[in-house]
Amino acid sequence: MKINKDFTIQKVGSSFVAVPVGETSKNFHGMVRLNETGAFLWKKLTEADQTEDSLVAALLEEYDVSEELARKDVQTLVHALQEGKIL
Amino acid sequence: MFIIELCGIPIRLENRYSYVERLCKNFRSSRRDYAFSVSATEEEIAQEMQNGNFPPDYCESICLYRHICEILPGYHIFIMHSSVVMVDGVAYAFAAKSGVGKSTHTALWIKAIPGATVLNGDKPLLRMNADGSVTAFGTPWCGKEGWGINSSAPLGAICFLERGTENKIRRATEEEVLSKIAHQLYLRGTRTTIDLQLQLLNRLVSALPYYVLSCTISEEAAKLAYTTMKRNKEEFSK
Repeated sequence: MKINKDFTIQKVGSSFVAVPVGETSKNFHGMVRLNETGAFLWKKLTEADQTEDSLVAALLEEYDVSEELARKDVQTLVHALQEGKIL
Repeated sequence: MFIIELCGIPIRLENRYSYVERLCKNFRSSRRDYAFSVSATEEEIAQEMQNGNFPPDYCESICLYRHICEILPGYHIFIMHSSVVMVDGVAYAFAAKSGVGKSTHTALWIKAIPGATVLNGDKPLLRMNADGSVTAFGTPWCGKEGWGINSSAPLGAICFLERGTENKIRRATEEEVLSKIAHQLYLRGTRTTIDLQLQLLNRLVSALPYYVLSCTISEEAAKLAYTTMKRNKEEFSK
């Protein structure tokens, strides 16, 4: 999975937002709001090519959660990013 | 070309058309130095003309302001698409999707609240101050009604307008603030500019009380909004 890298992620209030920059900002208006795990996974996606399994592994390494929950979080985010044509 | 002052910052405008000089007449500066200079290319102006049926001189003024707004975040200043009204030296901002009635509500404030003045009806600038407070500034770009003055005031609150069948006002949740305010900012440009704006936004969300006003077209709506925001402003600053 490869993510569109023309986004910046910043913390705003208690959540995170991803906003398009450069060329992408001309076609994609607005912002994507993310929770902490969402922002963490997004960063992983920008750092390297990922698979569902590698993202689940990254989540398990960072957070004290069950694999089941981690996989659910990954799938939800991946689905949302694919819908938005960001992934 | 000529120099204007916005939020106390001298900016040079390199214009092709005289329209923008007339637009900026109340903001002209006698200073010779300037913090930065902006210009619009013919391509940009042509592109802007495709977005609406507007003449090139007007489109140039829009392009120039857009460039200014891409640079100002470096000075802790950013544009918020809204209508700002001042009462007793305090500014209140209204934001709404276009067509909801921002101008109508603004006109009701002027009618119903003694001493109310429009600082800017469309594209004011906000400055995040070092002490955490926010100052609203007038600009020459103030919407088709041309409501605006060259002045500034501390911003007391931001209110999101919605149309309703009765008048109700409540505090906005942080989630609402984020989803609504994003539409009112100019989040375009380079990564650096956008990062700066988001850092300012992060400070803005906790700097002020936010409201959602569901309202009818009535002076009561304006009075309800004003009295609630004025009362809570005093509580918020404690």
